Amino acid sequence: MTALLVLLAIIVLAGFLVVGAYNRLVALRQNANEAFADIDVQLKQRQDLVPNLVETVKGYAAHERGTLEEVTQARAVAVGATGVEQRAQAENALTGALGRLMAVAEAYPDLKANQNFLQLQGELADLENKIAAARRFFNNAIAEYNAAIQRFPAVLLAGAFGFQARDFFDVGADRQAMQTAPQVKFS
Amino acid sequence: MQAIGLQTYIWNNNIRSAVLLVGFPILLIGMVFFLTLGMIWAGMLPPGEAYGGDVNEALGLMWGAAPAAIIVAAIWFVIAYFFNETIIDFATGSRQLTREEEPRAYNLLENLCISRGLNMPKLRVIETDEMNAFASGLHDGRFSVTVTRGILASLDDRELEAVLGHELTHIINRDVRTMVIAAIFAGIITLICQIIYRSIMWGGFGGLRGRRGNVGVFILVAMVVGAVGYLLAIVIRMAISRTREYVADAGSVELTKNPDAMISALRKVSGHAHLDAPASMRAMFLEDDDDGIFGLFATHPPVEKRIAALVQFGGGRDLAPTPAPTPPPEPISRPAPGTDDGPWGAHGAQRLAQDDGPAGPWS
Repeated sequence: MTALLVLLAIIVLAGFLVVGAYNRLVALRQNANEAFADIDVQLKQRQDLVPNLVETVKGYAAHERGTLEEVTQARAVAVGATGVEQRAQAENALTGALGRLMAVAEAYPDLKANQNFLQLQGELADLENKIAAARRFFNNAIAEYNAAIQRFPAVLLAGAFGFQARDFFDVGADRQAMQTAPQVKFS
Repeated sequence: MQAIGLQTYIWNNNIRSAVLLVGFPILLIGMVFFLTLGMIWAGMLPPGEAYGGDVNEALGLMWGAAPAAIIVAAIWFVIAYFFNETIIDFATGSRQLTREEEPRAYNLLENLCISRGLNMPKLRVIETDEMNAFASGLHDGRFSVTVTRGILASLDDRELEAVLGHELTHIINRDVRTMVIAAIFAGIITLICQIIYRSIMWGGFGGLRGRRGNVGVFILVAMVVGAVGYLLAIVIRMAISRTREYVADAGSVELTKNPDAMISALRKVSGHAHLDAPASMRAMFLEDDDDGIFGLFATHPPVEKRIAALVQFGGGRDLAPTPAPTPPPEPISRPAPGTDDGPWGAHGAQRLAQDDGPAGPWS
């Protein structure tokens, strides 16, 4: 009788532990999902800003067709991208293209004096900062989730309930390019 | 469980707070138990043979006294529940702000509330140059976030948002309620201690029931129990307060996604946060640097530790604080000759804002 009760107690306790561990994993996964939704909002806003920016620049620097088309292309790819890794790549390409566009714009004093352009430039810089912050938060949440599913005892549950390690939203190969200042040559 | 990120860190601190909070009733029961035991030893109460030993008798007497203690605590709580906010607003001399008066802070707070689906708490201000902020109110509809004029003036948008996020987390977590409960427990324990010392002073126990009991023993026990209980009550209360601060810092990062802003806000506020207020209120402040002895009696952890936690668990970077924000754009007029208002004046601030931190590669 006593042995049965002890056994029952152990089973109930184990049940609580399993439920607790499972719920924690779900909460962490949800946390990561929400964090990605936050990045998504900022990225969407930047995508919406691009056509305006391209139009404005076109008014002053129409013959910079290559750069303008590159930005439009990159935006189209970014809009169509799905999945964390693909999106990260597409958005990085867009970041790079926008950077080149802004560098080109430096050569047009009239454009730089345009109020509309200045406003868009400000908005873009603000969005870039917000994207950077949201991305850091997301990566942090992913790191926590990935660590949690590999720890004992959660690791015993993670596989069975389909908790898999997630990808980071990486700046990837472009990180190098973003961190080194552009070379200016006078020749 | 060891914290591995922001979320687990918040959970851990919440568990720690709960454990500490449970410590109060245990402490209270323990004190009453030892006092009763002391009275039995001193022969002031009938010896316990008839009840199966001294300890059992003390336990029995203690349960008899429990309802009275619960009623006192309940009345205390009801009063605090309805008047907490009024008392605090009166004590600090704050007044309510409208959106028109302070659109920047109001909008930041409103955006944070929208993102968490909260009713907008009242925004209040204290007109002082010191930099601090606190949350008050015990139930929905009475919540308010109070900031000082100094903090509004010297933090930029991101830092102010982080500070508001910190206070809003206190509200979301109902920390004010937790701290009021802690204050009530600590209050009851203090009350018991005062009764003990008054009684000893007035020799009240000597004539108790006309017994010949060994009063010296009881006085000794009572003094030890009183002193230990009193100290432990304060230590527990302050430890709860500190865990709530860590959670609020982390919660602010969750709301704003920006650990750097919280760090630089703490750096700016540190050392300029002094507001005169009783300890129970200071516990709700953004920052309070009155450490007491070895930090055991501090309502807030040291700023360095808070920043270290933000770096470790929140992914923050400890950068130099950003300069004061640009004042609301005024029509650009050429500065009148001879109005050199120093680096912190309106023009100086605009000049400083031009190299305003990492503002993206093309700003």
